[in-house]
Amino acid sequence: MSIAGVCLEKPGTKVALTGNEAIARGALEAGVAYAASYPGSPTAEVLGTLSRLAGNFKLYAEWSVNEKVAMEGAAAASFAGLRSLVVMKADGLNVALDFAGALAISGCRGGMVIVLGDDPNAHSSVREEDSRNLCKAIHLPVLEPSSVQEALEMTREAFSLSEDLKLPVVVRCVTRVCHASGDVELGELNRPLPVPDFTRDNRVITFGIQLHALQEQKLARAAEWACHSGFNSYTGPENPERLVIACGPCYMHALEALDMLAATGVGVLKLGVTWPLPHQLLLKYLRNASEVVFAEEVEPFVEDNVTSLAAMQIPRGIKFYGKRSGHVAGPAGPGIGELDPDILASSLAGIFGVKYETPGVSGRAEALELLGEKMPDRELAFCAGCPHRASFWAVRAALELDGRGGIVLGDIGCYTLGMARTGYNLLQTVHCMGAGIGLAGGMANLSRFGFDRPIVTLVGDSTFYHAAIPALINARYHNSSFLCVVLDNETTAMTGHQPHPGRSVTAMGEPARTVRMEELLQGVGLPYVVQDPYDVEATIDVVCNMLGQEGPRVLILRRTCVLAAVRGKQKARVYVDQEKCIGDSCGCGRFCSRVFACPANVWDAAGGKARIDEAVCNGCGVCASLCPQGAIVVERAVL
Amino acid sequence: MPGQELLVKEIMDRGLCSSCGMCVGLCPYIKTAGDRVRAIYPCGIEEGACYGVCPKTSLDISEMDMFVHGREREDHALGIYSGIYYARATARADGAQYGGITTALIGLALREGLISSAILTGGDIMNPRPVLAATPGEVNSCAGSKYTGVPTLLELNRAAGRGLTGIGLVGRPCQVAAVRKLQRGKLPPERTYSDRLVGLMLGLFCFWSLSSELYGFLARETKGEEIIKMDIPLEGPGVLTKTGSRRWRVDEIRPFINKSCNYCFDSTSEWADLSVGSTEQDPGWNTLLVRSGQGRDLVELAADRGVLEIKDYPAGRLPVLRKAALNKKMRVLALAEKEPGNGGCPAIPDKYLREMNVQWGGINR
Ligand SMILES: Cc1cc2nc3c(=O)[nH]c(=O)nc-3n(C[C@H](O)[C@H](O)[C@H](O)COP(=O)(O)OP(=O)(O)OC[C@H]3O[C@@H](n4cnc5c(N)ncnc54)[C@H](O)[C@@H]3O)c2cc1C
Ligand code: SF4
Ligand code: SF4
Ligand code: SF4
Repeated sequence: MSIAGVCLEKPGTKVALTGNEAIARGALEAGVAYAASYPGSPTAEVLGTLSRLAGNFKLYAEWSVNEKVAMEGAAAASFAGLRSLVVMKADGLNVALDFAGALAISGCRGGMVIVLGDDPNAHSSVREEDSRNLCKAIHLPVLEPSSVQEALEMTREAFSLSEDLKLPVVVRCVTRVCHASGDVELGELNRPLPVPDFTRDNRVITFGIQLHALQEQKLARAAEWACHSGFNSYTGPENPERLVIACGPCYMHALEALDMLAATGVGVLKLGVTWPLPHQLLLKYLRNASEVVFAEEVEPFVEDNVTSLAAMQIPRGIKFYGKRSGHVAGPAGPGIGELDPDILASSLAGIFGVKYETPGVSGRAEALELLGEKMPDRELAFCAGCPHRASFWAVRAALELDGRGGIVLGDIGCYTLGMARTGYNLLQTVHCMGAGIGLAGGMANLSRFGFDRPIVTLVGDSTFYHAAIPALINARYHNSSFLCVVLDNETTAMTGHQPHPGRSVTAMGEPARTVRMEELLQGVGLPYVVQDPYDVEATIDVVCNMLGQEGPRVLILRRTCVLAAVRGKQKARVYVDQEKCIGDSCGCGRFCSRVFACPANVWDAAGGKARIDEAVCNGCGVCASLCPQGAIVVERAVL
Repeated sequence: MPGQELLVKEIMDRGLCSSCGMCVGLCPYIKTAGDRVRAIYPCGIEEGACYGVCPKTSLDISEMDMFVHGREREDHALGIYSGIYYARATARADGAQYGGITTALIGLALREGLISSAILTGGDIMNPRPVLAATPGEVNSCAGSKYTGVPTLLELNRAAGRGLTGIGLVGRPCQVAAVRKLQRGKLPPERTYSDRLVGLMLGLFCFWSLSSELYGFLARETKGEEIIKMDIPLEGPGVLTKTGSRRWRVDEIRPFINKSCNYCFDSTSEWADLSVGSTEQDPGWNTLLVRSGQGRDLVELAADRGVLEIKDYPAGRLPVLRKAALNKKMRVLALAEKEPGNGGCPAIPDKYLREMNVQWGGINR
């Protein structure tokens, strides 16, 4: 909640922080010197916080062009003996995985922590990837905080562990913890920084199977450490028959669920270190247990590893309940979505054969009913005045006009919403950053088999720098014919307006040497046009024109994100002249509210006329330019 | 009266739209790019003006004759007219197609205040565009035929939105029909137009227009040279470029003929005030059909002022012209019979059909 709290000097005091701030504080307490990240929810605020504090501490913080480059930069700092932090969402690990896998073999020098933001339920992601399986695959230890306090402590301790093992350590933090806020107890700041160096004598190399053996040894040491780590803890009878093994936020959920069931005599083993497993500790509690329940989110990671451990180490059979058995499951099924105390209580009730009335179900219905009147019934949509709405409308119109059944391949960013009604259902593919352009190239190469539809791919500016360039080079090299539309809102809007290489300022607020998109395209040898999407009619013309051209080509639709553009300005006043509006009649058919559908274009059913919700309107004036009657009036235009 | 949904289904999706432009900009849903006209989004309105004004949707020929000329036709080849002449402009505008009388008459009407402005087709062969001309200079710059379907009438919707009246226009037969349908006004009640919206209609002769594929063809054939003029005389289509001229066989451009034109019943703009075409003999002159009283007044004024030079239409030519026009109608009827219920072809009352067959038989004998 407070940047002041993150840099407060007084050890022992308690301050309210969010999970992300706690991670930042933990890193500062550990003496982090180098932090890098590519913004992604749920962990975007970690680097956001650190970059704002860079001036107060001896700290370098950067928004990198992508996760792989971020991890490489942080690794370099570690090789030179400094402590370094790299932060990304789960999807980011996929981007960085090639390097991460190699780094796990070569090892590191200064403590290096990789914070991975997993997003169970995919609140702000395209999928709910569980990064733990990848971490296991590349042999990295994983810590999982279950509370804000732990987020701080684990991050801090992860640096020491990493330095001990000479291996990067992962802190896997889920959305519920990143975005939670709680009182945390602060530790010491001002750990002295070493002077970085990397001489001709230093070698950090990934090569040969000897290093693989060393990797296994490091993990064995980590497992040993885990058995004594305070991050794993147990509550309950000494030799429990019934045992719940929980990690992350599910630990709290489990305690609450048992409370709700008034179940006694059930042991709860909290795992803070989920890879490698603390074998001895686990065996101690499994030895007498006859029923074991797993409470973890998304994949049955702990579940699979513990059951295989038990299969080898415990001769008698234990009944295991979890996702594999189907007993621990939310409404969408086992392993899908988040868990909560209510879901766990019903699962446990089923397993233990006790009665449990889910207050959740009826309670939820009541709550919804109560809220119903107050909650506006809004689907996910681009913000009022969002330039993407204008861009999507123009592209859609142009495709219809072109009439050759052109296809649209999408990408990852705010504009991913364009697969829904707010983007006129335009996007036909959504995968990962940059994928739209690679897919477009592939589709275009099918022309030799007779595939002749026009191909459009839409990509955001931040994604353009992050992942589009190699695919564009490939397209130019093979002369793959498609139109790439860059929706350039001059910021990384989805995750909170972080700067990117197209901007003139860095994460730390220092002046940057802007990497102009146009220069990149010139370098690659691609023709491009720059157009303001707010001028919708002109944009339709340009898109129509470019659809008719051959070869790879780029249209930059450039208009600052409206939220950034109106910040600190008095917005234009926009209203509908009720005399001029013809509403539902032939000639309009409620165009603004029904079709263009900016959230501020509302339909007054009683009056049979359109209105502007002035509280929502950002004053872009685009609807006014499209109203067939000229009924929408813009006063004091500022954009 | 149906709306956009049927317009799309019956006309646009079947490739029967002739790009007249009358429906373009009636609402935010029908738009144009180049010479293509498409509905970009369903408007959800059941009874729409677009269907009502489209010249390719239901249109009863005798009803239209009654509305425009106040009587049914006797001549089923050329429709109702009171005189046919050869004419040429005494001062031919640069780039005028033949005798230049179209440009001259519109210029005169504008100077005399008979019209406030004129909706014309400007640009050039490869890149034509709708123009609202307000000065004689602007009218002159639109001289010359562009052979693709240009949605010129979208300018009429724009002009109506601005409250203009007394507009003159030059159009292909389908465009003349579209404006007449608009004037007749069987439209949704909220769609009202001033009686004085259109002040004068000059219709061109037109046996077919071409699709935008023509541009690619011409660009390839002329190696991108600038085209000064295009014409389609009996010897076959040809262009004049800076360095010379080129001519092709009709068959080479036949694939580009708009499908809608194969269903078009009117090759001489039967509901215009005046209709203008070539003479097929002398490229310095035009054929001129006078159809309405208003048309006659303008031609007389033009003769008085020495703007036009007029002479009799050679008696021997009339059967040739009539045969060409009837020939086309018979081809359309044969096509319509093959594909019954297909939109894009007007309704012809039985009486008209019988008389037409008689006249057609007469010509062949
Ligand atoms: C597509 C097309 C096909 C034609 N086919 C024939 C034919 O088969 N037989 C025949 O005798 N005559 C035909 N004509 C008419 C002929 O080409 C001349 O336009 C006409 O004779 C008038 O000549 P002018 O010297 O008076 O023209 P100008 O004084 O040069 O005036 C020409 C006028 O035509 C208008 N115009 C140009 N292109 C178009 C267009 N695409 N749509 C609507 N208006 C346009 C311009 O606005 C201008 O006002 C056709 C015209 C067109 C546009
Ligand atoms: S001006 Fe119109 S389009 Fe822009 S924010 Fe306001 S209501 Fe939305
Ligand atoms: S687009 Fe214009 S005429 Fe149509 S409902 Fe909105 S304000 Fe009224
Ligand atoms: S013929 Fe004219 S009115 Fe009919 S659909 Fe085409 S452009 Fe619209």
